[in-house]
This record gives sequence, structure tokens and C-alpha cells, in this order.
Amino acid sequence: MILEVNKLRKEVSSGEGKLVILDDVSFNLLEGQSLAITGPSGSGKSTLLGLLAGLDTATSGEIYLNKEALHELDEEQRALLRKEKVGFVFQSFELLPSLTALENVMLPSELKDEDEPEERAKYFLDRVGLKEREHHYPNQLSGGEQQRVAIARAFACSAKILFADEPTGNLDPKNGEMISDLLFEVNSETDNALVVVTHDHDLADRCDKKINLKLGKIVE
Amino acid sequence: MMLFNLSFKIFLRELRSGYLTSILVSLVLAITIVSGISLFTDRLEKALSAETEEFLGGNLKFESNQNTVKSKLQTQVFQDIDFMEMVLFASVIFSEEDMQLSSVKAVDNAYPLIGELELQNKSGKFLTKQSPELGTVWMDERLQNLLNLSYGDKIFIGDSEFIFAATILYEPDRASGNFAFAPKTIMNFKDVDSTNIIQPGSRVEYNYLFKGPEDEIENVRNYLETIKENGDNIEVLSEDSSSLGRTIDRSENFFLLGGLIAVLLSACTVGIASQRFTRRHVSYVAILKTLGMKTTQIRTMYFLLFLFMTFLTLLFGLILGWTLQSQFINLMSSYFPTELPPPGYYPILITCLTVLICQFGFIYPHIIKLITISPMRVLKDDISFDYGFIPVFLMGLAAFLLLLYLYTDQLTLSLIIFFGVIGFSAIGIGSIYLLLGKNKKGLGASGPILLALSELRRRKFGNSFQIFAFTIAIGLTLITFSASKNLLGSWQTSIPEDSPNNFAINITPEDKENMQSFLQENNIQSKPFYPVTNATIFKKEEQNEEDKIDRNFNITWIEELPEQNDILKGEWFDKNLNNGISISDDISDRYELEIGDEVFIKVGEEIIKSYVQSTRTVNWDNFSPNFFIIGHPSLFKDISSTYITSFYIPSDKQYLAADLMREFRTVSVFSIEELIEQVKEIIEQVTQALNSILLLTSLSALFLAFSALQDGFSVRKHQSAVLRTLGASNILIKQSTLFEFTLLGLISGTLGALVAYAGIYFIETKVFETTANFYLEISLMGPLLGIIVVSSLCYYLISGIAKQSPKKLLMQ
Repeated sequence: MILEVNKLRKEVSSGEGKLVILDDVSFNLLEGQSLAITGPSGSGKSTLLGLLAGLDTATSGEIYLNKEALHELDEEQRALLRKEKVGFVFQSFELLPSLTALENVMLPSELKDEDEPEERAKYFLDRVGLKEREHHYPNQLSGGEQQRVAIARAFACSAKILFADEPTGNLDPKNGEMISDLLFEVNSETDNALVVVTHDHDLADRCDKKINLKLGKIVE
Repeated sequence: MMLFNLSFKIFLRELRSGYLTSILVSLVLAITIVSGISLFTDRLEKALSAETEEFLGGNLKFESNQNTVKSKLQTQVFQDIDFMEMVLFASVIFSEEDMQLSSVKAVDNAYPLIGELELQNKSGKFLTKQSPELGTVWMDERLQNLLNLSYGDKIFIGDSEFIFAATILYEPDRASGNFAFAPKTIMNFKDVDSTNIIQPGSRVEYNYLFKGPEDEIENVRNYLETIKENGDNIEVLSEDSSSLGRTIDRSENFFLLGGLIAVLLSACTVGIASQRFTRRHVSYVAILKTLGMKTTQIRTMYFLLFLFMTFLTLLFGLILGWTLQSQFINLMSSYFPTELPPPGYYPILITCLTVLICQFGFIYPHIIKLITISPMRVLKDDISFDYGFIPVFLMGLAAFLLLLYLYTDQLTLSLIIFFGVIGFSAIGIGSIYLLLGKNKKGLGASGPILLALSELRRRKFGNSFQIFAFTIAIGLTLITFSASKNLLGSWQTSIPEDSPNNFAINITPEDKENMQSFLQENNIQSKPFYPVTNATIFKKEEQNEEDKIDRNFNITWIEELPEQNDILKGEWFDKNLNNGISISDDISDRYELEIGDEVFIKVGEEIIKSYVQSTRTVNWDNFSPNFFIIGHPSLFKDISSTYITSFYIPSDKQYLAADLMREFRTVSVFSIEELIEQVKEIIEQVTQALNSILLLTSLSALFLAFSALQDGFSVRKHQSAVLRTLGASNILIKQSTLFEFTLLGLISGTLGALVAYAGIYFIETKVFETTANFYLEISLMGPLLGIIVVSSLCYYLISGIAKQSPKKLLMQ
């Protein structure tokens, strides 16, 4: 089991008292499996993804990521876990504008202090079809190209699990389709699990499992 | 009205949010400095020009070293002209218990020609238009206190006894007087002879004041021009007021230029803050456009917003500026006879113009760009906000040049400073840019040191700008610190401990030997007794105007070369030579006198023919009598003279000075310690005024650096969120940022120390004319200050980032 979630609850304080974002969310995911989290806006999809990836903390409940109790770890321990086991793809790409495409992809390997990060980054850039654009800065790339760099960076992590938050949300249908193809294609070459938050039904249908959220609860 | 309300609402909201703080504080700083300086100089100018007529003492003043003018004037007939004569000299005045050097003004019965004196005696304050009665003197309050006098007490000037009759509270003709800082005594002209103070070679100045209709004054002037001799000077009202005006204008320009650095630094901060302001307002403008607001309406709305800002900053800035000028006036109050008049409109005008130029040069270009944003931005937020860096930059430069012209009123000087500042900044920022080295591949995120170094290089341009701003801030702070701590000390240590601390002048030939014996008996080492007399030098015997060297000299004759005088060219006097005169190197340069040149020395009516035998350097700071021109004694055998000398009296033997003066009443002995004290006081006051400006300027620089730092932190925030999402620990981010800013602080501090050394060198050698010193503490304090200030600011900024979860940071 790569991911196990039990009775997850997330509350936030608002002017009108406590607001429940997620309530009683439980599911699990096996290694190599893919999961789509769907639901309308405000249903808690991105919040759930953030909790699963250890970017934020839950109010109550348990998350086991690669058998480690994520809910018991502090921020520094969660950062270590993210570095070793987790990869990310965001809707807004989140590339560093001051780094070239190649340098952005090198980042995870640099953080892990791995040997020859450049070689590894070049391999993945080649894999996403951007070998020729490795010295370009993000502002010199199109949206689709930027997302391909983000995918290359996510796979360069050698992660056990990949989290993608609306990876096609900022792209036109053609580019969106290409990105989802690439995501599943590269993922199939590894033994990674994949968790995708999406509004895109086609993308969701390609996943092994689906959970649909409504008002913070799993409805199917 | 709708626009007014809307822009006022936005203004209030922006104020509360703190986003306008940088712009507001910077503008307030600039206004404070400009208004402070211009209010002060304006009041000073007003005080002087309003009283110019009284300040001069008449419509025309003739200054001369001779008292031959009056007899010549009596041969002339001028209609409706009032005339008065006065003689000015320095003398030691004795009371029963004490003595003090005073600047004495002996006036005839026509005094005061213009205005009234305000005096005080036992019966209280009163105004008078009369001169002192025979046998009485008036003194200013400072002298009265120093001599511990009550009305009716006896005092002694030279060989004569006087009664202290009144305290001078206000006197017209304050422009007169050689010893401006020595306290003043006024006596009757007819009493001067009985004092025996004025001897051949004595430093005295005769002033003749004239009052009358303009055309008749012109006739007097024409006549005086015909009898004017070397060293004589004619001053008329209009010229005097304009020369006063020019002097004040120059000092105002000097101070304003100093303040301009602060204004410029503040303007840069305003520019950075405006850029940030417009970035935040891009969506706002796009939405307003989508909702149908016209571009002109949006422009008016922002114009009103900045108008509110102008009023607010002017209000605070002018209040602080008024406080600053009050501080300057308090510092220098002892030099102002009366309360200064209120200021005119000029300071307000120059301050408002400064604010307007800052706004149009550093805020308005950003707003113009902001208004051009397409409403499509609402639909597609990736529509780029084309910033057009070059036009914005050029507008800023144009504003800077305009400010320079406003402050200097001289185009050439403005252009020199303009290109000087641009050159200095370009070289400064460029050197730092090169110093940071080339980018290496990757972010170096494997460890804090690598990451820090990579960040320093990667943000090279921004970092160079920040380092430059911090360098200026630290440099100015160190100069402020050093000026208040070391400047006075460096001036004092430049005076050797056993330097002569007393000068004696007016020593008659009869008193000379007795005085030498007195000094010997009391074990006081004195410098030689130099004979001294007044002379004029001509290059040709015919004494044509063009051959005359246009000034009088106090010349001496002696066989030995004085201490700390070094022969540059020619030879010093020798028994075996046909000896001539020795001149100082600057006289040689100024009047193009070479070795061997023939000269004619006119002393009184006698003309002595000689030649230039040597040129020499003179150390004017050695507290010994120094002379531009020294002749061989054989040339001056029959010339009458007085003598001058200097000597050191240890502090435990100060009573000897009193004994000496009691025994030799016509000799003027004055302690230089009093003068040293006065110079010390002036240095202290100038230092304090200088420090206020420097402190405000370094505050502006610090604020600019902080704004630049804050501006770069929005990018840094995003980067740290991405890095933490990818698994970088908080410690890595914190340590690398701290290390990066410690390095940045170290570089800024080290460069700041170099800037401080250059500034202190300039102040010590050029402003205060002392010797330059090396202060070790600056080279330690600079880097330390840099590290502490920059890393603390960075810690303050980064701690906010480290506390938040990466998810929250990414969402911001």
C-alpha cells in the first residue's frame, strides 16, 4: 500500500466560526495505481491533495504515505519525506522563473545531492520532448511547454508517488490531451502511483480509481 | 465627486494596508531635508538682508589701514552727507580680577550713523543714538560675564582706565570688526590716544561711514576711488547686500546639494514602491475598465490618490522640516543677535516643486503604464504587463536633472553632478556586478552555502543595486559616527602639546628687552621676537597700478630661517651674500615672482629696493608668527616697528600671563586657548548640523535598500515555497538566506567602510583642513554593521515565509 487515508477531517476558522473543508475521508491506493479526485469547485479536492502530499496538516484523521504516518510528522520530517518519495505537478506549473528549463528539472536531484543531476535532468527533458529548449527560461516557453518541464521535474524526483493538481487546467484541449498522455505514458514506465485532481472527465477516466468529493465528503 | 470618493477610499485602504508606507516615509524624509535646509537659509538671508543698511552702518563704507583719509576728506565739500569715523583693533581688557581679548570699536560722536543701539544699565534697557561718553565703555554681555563686571566697575585698556557703563544688547554696523568671534567693546574715538595701543605696525582698521542721497554717495565714492590705496576697500549698500546674498545662496546650494543625495535616494525608493503599487493595481484597473470606466476617469482617480498623498507627506514633512531648522537655529543661536524673522514663500515653493518633480519623475510614469493595461487582463491573467523599463528610467533621470537644476540654478554644474552621480552609480553597481562572478549551472540546492552563493550570483543585478544602496547607507552612517566622535579629536591631536598657547602683539621696541627678560626669569620659552611692519610691494620703481601687488603685507626681517619654513628655491640669507627678501611659495605663484626678480618695498613713505632671494613653504598651523615676506635685517635698519612673538605658558602658570599684561599694558597678549575653544565650538556645531543631514540621508539610503530587499522577497517567497514543496527543509532555506545576506552585508559593510574613509578624508582635509587620519574601528564596524543590519532585515523578512506552510505560500 502506497497511500492509506483514514477518517480525514480538515477545519478552518472563518469569521462565522469553523468551516469544515473535508470530513470523514477514507480510501487507499496500491503501488503503481492511479487515482483521480474529482468534484465541483470548493468541494475540497486541492485541500485533500495538499494533505496527502504533506504540504498542509489535517485537523484529525490518519494518512500513511509509503507506510509512514504522515499525520505524526512535523514540517521538517514531512519535507524530508516529500524530497525522497513525492513528486508534484501543479496547475500553474510553479517553475522558478530565474532558472532555465534544465535547471528547473535539476532541482530535485540537487536537493537530494544526487550525482550527475544534469544528466538525469537532460534525460527527462528529452523524454518530454524539450531537449532543444533546455536553456530557455520559463517566460520563453508556452504554457504547454512549461507544464512539460514541470512533468519532467516531477519524474526526475524518482518519487514513489506523483501528485498532480489540475495538470491540464491552464491548457487548451489539444495541449491538455498531450500533457495527460505524457503523464500516463511516463508514469507507466515507472512503478509510481499517481494521484490527480481534475475536472477533466477523460483524464479521470484513464485512472485506475476515482473518488468524487462533494462538500468535503466522498460521494462515490 | 464619485471619483473623489472612490480615490479617497482607495487611499485610506492603501494607507491601512501599509502598502504605501515606503512611498510615504521616503517622501516625508525628502520633504523634511529640503524644507529644513531651505527654511533655515531663508530665515538667515531675511535676517541679514532686512538689516543690511544697519548691518553695513551706512550707505557707503570705506575701510583703510591708514588714518589719513579724514584729513583728505576735509578738503572736499559734499552736500547732505553725514560722515563718521571709527577705528577697530583687538586688545586685551583688564578688570580688577580678570582679563580678556576683545574686539574694540572706537567710534566718534556721529555714531551711530544709521539705526539705534539697545543698551542695558542699572536702570534697565534703553535705546540710544549716541556714542559712549569719554572715559566710559560699553561691552557685550559675553565680555561682561567673562570679566565679571558690574555697572560702574573700572577696566583698563592699554595705559588708560575706563568705567564700564552699559551692556550692548543690539548694535547696528555689525559688519565691522576683524575679530568676529572676540567679544565686543565700544569706546569713544577720542580716548584711543591715551591708551597708547596703536603703534607702528599695529593691526588696526579705520572705517569711514557715509550716509546721504544716492547721487551724492556716488560722488563720495568717485572721490574715494581716487585716493584709494592698496588694501583699502569701498563697500556700498547694494553691492554688500548682493555679496551677502550670494554667500548665503552659495551655502544654501551647498547644503541643498547635500540634501539632494537624500532626496535622490528617497526618490529611488518611491520609484521601487510605485512599481510594486502598480503591479498590485493591474487587475484593479483591468476590472474598472471592464466595468466601463474611461481611461481619463481612471487617470483622474489615481491623480487624486497621489494628491492626497502629497498633502499628507507635505504636512508631516514640513512639520519635521520646521523642527530640523529650529535645531540648526538653536545650535547657532549665539551668532544671531536677535530672533530670526519668519520665513518667506521660497522654502515652501522649493519643497513643493521637489515633491512634484519626485511624483512626476518617479510615480507618474508607473501610473501611465498602469493605465494602458488591457481589460482583457480580466479574462487572461497571463497577458503581460509590459513594463517599458527604459522610458520609466529616463523619466526618473530627467526628474533628477530637473531637481539638480532647481537646487543649483546652474546648468553646467547640474550636468557635471548629473553625469558624476550616474558615472559613480554605474561604476559602483557595475563593479559589484563583476565582483559577484559568473552564474554556475543549477541552483546549488544541495547545501546552504552553495545555494546562497548561487543566489547571490543569480540575482546579480538586483543584489548589486541592493549592495550599492546598503553601501551608501552604511558609509554615511559611519561618517556620521566618525564625525561626531573623531573629528574634534583629530583636530586637537594635530596641535602639539607644547605649542605656543599665547600670542603677544604690539610690543614696542622699548618693551621688547624687558619682556624678553620677564619671560626668561619665569622660564617661559618663547619664539623669536619678530619685528613687524606694514608694507606694499611693487614690481617696478614707478609704482604703476599694474605693477603693484594688490595687498598690504605684514613683513618682518630676521637672520635665522623660522621653524617649519623650508626653502624651495634660491638660498636663505648668508653673511657673504648680497641679501634680499624671501617670499612664500604661494605669493611667488600668485604674483609671478621668480628668484632674482627686482622688488620695491614701500614702508610708510620710504621705498626700499631689493630682490627675491628665495621662496619657501610655510606651515601656517604651527602657532608661531608666520610671514609671507621676510627681508634681510640690513634692508630695514631705519624702519620703526613693533614686535610679535608667541610662547607657551603651562596651565599651572597661567597667572604669569596676567602678570605680563599688567607690566606691559600696551602689549596685547591673547591666549589662543580661547580661540581654540571657539574653533572647537564651531567644529562641534558644524559637525552636529552635518550629522543631522547625514543621518537623514543614511536613513533614506537604508530605507531604499530595505525597499529593494522587500521587493525581491516576493520572488524569494515563491522560490522558497517551490523548494519546500520539492522537499527542501526549512533549515536549508533559512540558513542559505541568512548566509546569502550575511555575505551581502559583509560586502556592503566593507564597501561602506571604504566610502566612509573617502568621505572622512574629504571632510578632514577639505572641510576642516586638518590632517587625515586612519580609524581602525571603521574597518571593523563597517563589515559588522553590514552583517548585523542586512541579516537582521533579512531574518525579519524570511521568518514570515518560514512560518507558513508551502501550500499557503503557493496560494499567495
